[in-house]
Amino acid sequence: MSSVNEAAASPAGLQASLGLDTVLSVEGLTKRYDSLVAVDAISLDVRRGETFGMLGPNGAGKTTTLEMIEGLRTPDAGRITLLGLDAVRQRRAVQERIGVQLQSQALWPDLTVEETLQTFRALFRRKGSLEELLERFSLMDKRRSLVRDLSGGQKQRLSVATALVNDPEVVFLDEPTTGLDPQARHSFWDYIRDMQREEKTVIVTTHYMEEAEALCGRVAIMDQGRIIALDTPRQLVRGLAFDNTVECSFEGPVDGERLLALPAVRDVRSENGAHFLFTNDVAATVAGLLGFTDDSGQRVQSLQVRTATLEDVFISLTGRRLRD
Amino acid sequence: MNVGAFIQLVVTQATMLRRNVGFWLSSIIMAVLSMAVFGWLFNPDTQAFELAVVDEDRTEASQALVQAFDGLDNVELIHGSQEDELGALEDGDRGAVVVVPPGFGDRLNEGTASLLVYYDNSNPIRIGYVTSTVDAVVDNYNASVVGETVAVRVERQAVDTENVRFIDFLTPGMVGMTIMWVNLGVGFLLVTWREQGILRRLGVTPLSPGSLIASQAMSFALISLTQTVIILAMGRLVFDVEVAGSYLWLALTVLLGVLAMLSVGYIIGSLLKTVTSVNAVVNLVAFPMIFLGGSYFPLDTPPAMAPLVNAIPLTHLNDALREVVNHSGSLGDLWLSWAVLGAWIVGGFALSMRLFRWQ
Repeated sequence: MSSVNEAAASPAGLQASLGLDTVLSVEGLTKRYDSLVAVDAISLDVRRGETFGMLGPNGAGKTTTLEMIEGLRTPDAGRITLLGLDAVRQRRAVQERIGVQLQSQALWPDLTVEETLQTFRALFRRKGSLEELLERFSLMDKRRSLVRDLSGGQKQRLSVATALVNDPEVVFLDEPTTGLDPQARHSFWDYIRDMQREEKTVIVTTHYMEEAEALCGRVAIMDQGRIIALDTPRQLVRGLAFDNTVECSFEGPVDGERLLALPAVRDVRSENGAHFLFTNDVAATVAGLLGFTDDSGQRVQSLQVRTATLEDVFISLTGRRLRD
Repeated sequence: MNVGAFIQLVVTQATMLRRNVGFWLSSIIMAVLSMAVFGWLFNPDTQAFELAVVDEDRTEASQALVQAFDGLDNVELIHGSQEDELGALEDGDRGAVVVVPPGFGDRLNEGTASLLVYYDNSNPIRIGYVTSTVDAVVDNYNASVVGETVAVRVERQAVDTENVRFIDFLTPGMVGMTIMWVNLGVGFLLVTWREQGILRRLGVTPLSPGSLIASQAMSFALISLTQTVIILAMGRLVFDVEVAGSYLWLALTVLLGVLAMLSVGYIIGSLLKTVTSVNAVVNLVAFPMIFLGGSYFPLDTPPAMAPLVNAIPLTHLNDALREVVNHSGSLGDLWLSWAVLGAWIVGGFALSMRLFRWQ
């Protein structure tokens, strides 16, 4: 993987990646549930101050990976070094210094906003300012309201605030924007950018590729318990052998193999009647596609041209879309 | 975990329990309703009582008086020796013992005859009923048989007995039942927190399961002690039920009861996954416990059932509460019940700590 290659290129870089600069180091991490291998010997390093994204469909193993790092699940094999500590053996010492937001909001409906923050804050030795959190997440005028009376967005903000009560060095956010409308999602990104300004290390899972592209310095793409790619979003997209994707579907069934013969098409992936043509020359491919339509008698039902994104990286690697 | 964190967790959880009014009020309402129903409407204490008549004179006059007690409503008449009947009175088995002394017939003619009535002094409600019944018989006898209104005097003698009114018996039983309901409820709490992901959320903080459980036990104990005070105050103010024994022993008994019931609640909450199944199992456990544990009625245990009844924590919680409230019991009377509750606490918590999962 390129991060390792970059580090190995210079002795100083190697030292930095193994020394103080590395906040999280995972080696050969594995988790099995009966016959299912949920996480299959993955390795990754996260640098201090980095925003690291884990991208993948549901069931890829992102959440299980995070849960092992956070100390909720015990790995079947592998090593996790977090903040210089063994995250399995020195679980509590690690948990003192990390902040976690789980997928479920996990708030007590019968407590007020202030009581919720006080309770979580009491669990840590290191304590951040409660007033500052209320201010930052726009909860000041709701501090005496019961959680059950909050709106969905307010609960979401409170949930993130509880992850910051100990002024953590590393913050884990598990699909923090799932279920939010696009506007709420974009304003949530500002909270992550605040964390970046404070030089916190942020590890975030998502299945929104645009979120990973907007926020993350580096992205690990996971599928079926493995990391299938790991690099900056730009490098991942640049690494594709094509610039654009033509997504099309036909009125009747068409064999994807036949589309490979169209001009400038580098590769084809087909899923549920949709075909993704990866191309270096959009004009040539689309012209060929229209000609193909006449030859086969199958009419194109829909046609969409777009610049290659992380989604296309995933499709080209797995043949499937991130979200169904 | 430091003291400040522990106190914050206790306060937080007690606040949540307090705001969940239905949870703690329903069991109090059940207890208070039971006390009202049995204290006023169906008070067994104004029901029939046993009256013993002892004839030490054995003359025609004395036999006529004894016959006058026949056929009273609500009275089961018993004839026996003075020694036996006074013994029965002290055991709480007689409402009163009427003794016709030797020489009664002779003194009747002189106009100086008297009766001795020994009555149970421990039961203020029944005293009036018993003495007025005896007085009515004697007045009737004076008027119709002798023809003079003051031929026979009644001398009353109070005897302190072991007799406990039904409401005295019931009140500690209601305290025990309330402690059971509320603390088995920790099973709901555990499953609800697991379903809502709150346990997982706590699992990624430095909080240890032991600290969580200890702070939970403390907050439940606060709620249970408050409920105990409310029920006993109600018993005292409305039904004149007094706490005969030490308040310290009472509080210790309540705490042991809280922990024993919590340990059962934790086991239920650790083994089951949904609120509905916890609901079903708690009811399945609680209702037989209420009756086998003798919260409402003293139980004549069939020998085959004795091991089961004696294993039930509520049996021993009720026994210990009654020992303190009714009989001012001391350590010698309490240790066995405390030991059984202690065994449940040690075994139950050891098991639930093993079963505990954050998710």
